[in-house]
Amino acid sequence: MAIRDDFEVAAGQVRAVVQRFALGLLVLAAFGAMLVGKADTVLVEHARVLALDLASPVLEAIARPAAAANRAIADLKEFASLREENARLREENARLLAWQTAARRLENENERLRGLANFREGPEASFITARIVGDSVSAYVRGALLNVGRRGGVASGQAVVTGEGLAGRIAEVGENSARVLFVTDVNSRLPVLIERTRERAILAGDNSPQLRLTLLQSVAGVQRGDRIVTSGHGGSFPVGIPIGEVVETGEGSVRVRPFADFSRLEFVRVVDYGVTGLVGGGPTVPAPPAGVRIR
Amino acid sequence: MRADGLLAMLDRWGRLALPGTVLLFFVLLTLAPLRAPYLSGALPLLPALAVFQFSLATPERLPGPLLLAMGILLDLLLGGPGAPVGVSALGFVLIRAAVVNNRRYLVGVPFLFQWFGFCLLAWGFVVLVWFFTALWTWTAIDPVPAMMQYVVVVVIYPLLAPLLARVRARDPLNVPDESRGTARPGETTS
Repeated sequence: MAIRDDFEVAAGQVRAVVQRFALGLLVLAAFGAMLVGKADTVLVEHARVLALDLASPVLEAIARPAAAANRAIADLKEFASLREENARLREENARLLAWQTAARRLENENERLRGLANFREGPEASFITARIVGDSVSAYVRGALLNVGRRGGVASGQAVVTGEGLAGRIAEVGENSARVLFVTDVNSRLPVLIERTRERAILAGDNSPQLRLTLLQSVAGVQRGDRIVTSGHGGSFPVGIPIGEVVETGEGSVRVRPFADFSRLEFVRVVDYGVTGLVGGGPTVPAPPAGVRIR
Repeated sequence: MRADGLLAMLDRWGRLALPGTVLLFFVLLTLAPLRAPYLSGALPLLPALAVFQFSLATPERLPGPLLLAMGILLDLLLGGPGAPVGVSALGFVLIRAAVVNNRRYLVGVPFLFQWFGFCLLAWGFVVLVWFFTALWTWTAIDPVPAMMQYVVVVVIYPLLAPLLARVRARDPLNVPDESRGTARPGETTS
């Protein structure tokens, strides 16, 4: 009896030691993963892409009902302000018609001048329409997952736009999925132009809803309401995609509100400019046929 | 352990797989584009909630290596460029260890104590993730969004915890009479 008790005590001790050791091992493994991730970014990139590809079908299944629910809620909200909205839209329509006339006239004029100057246009951009199947929005990241990938012609570094303006750029591409990094993410830096003054600047995100305009030659030249557009420097983005407008000019810091409404994104378009530029991904990107494709 | 019938076997397998499956579901749900104003911000902490709750109930069905894998998957799916991969895994493993080592303060006690325990551990988790993300990306990350996440997940804990607690196995403190005494020494759940 005593021997058996002793045996049980000893077994218990061994088990306790193993358990403590197991925790240590697990903690070590977690640290190991973090260190490997820091040291070998390519490996982590591959792992991320693999995880995205595996998760995206499941996410797509979740995304559709979620989108339907979101739309229903948005519809209800809009219903309340239908009359005001109507009035606003009518006013806006009148203003846009005036703009349309102006744009037609300018387009014609442009065409003729181009003809005169023998101007060669930049590469034609084509669009790939994608559904957002996942948000990667947390306290640390601002981004989303798309249901198109390399097979759909998406490549790393391409611009992602909404109807209103630039949303972000493609950060990672899998076979059938891709991750967008929004312009509001802390890692996002864009070469931009101030549309009115044609001044160059860098537009940086800081995970807040607004963007920060930096590296201006003269902050004084910026006014509230100035539109910010992509400058095309670096070659990865088309020139002149609207990003946002200046809402705040202070001492050395200019805040920009993006046009894209990140809280209601459902579909986006990936702009394939034909040039992958400095931030371009793999060299084996198949050139997709021009035109719009919807998946 | 009775080995009778297909249904019993399915039942046993289901019970074994449930915590891991729910955790996987929460990990995937972090990416779901739910646009609820505050809730969607708190989604990344829901897996931690599941880990806490299942570690209370059935820690043996949520073994450490599984937590490690789930944490790494979460970091891979959620992480931005440069974010540490494995920090959630570390957090999960530590939460499980903390719960298992403090079972007598957390199991069979009033719900408020469990909530308080969750508040403490989730705080540790948030601080851990924030600290390592800041360290790895070497930027001063604004801690306010992380704090908001924390507040929201602490507030929704009482809503989710009872749901998850329904899968709880019988603890020695609330084992029905007929099965009392079948537990072997050292076994905490049926």
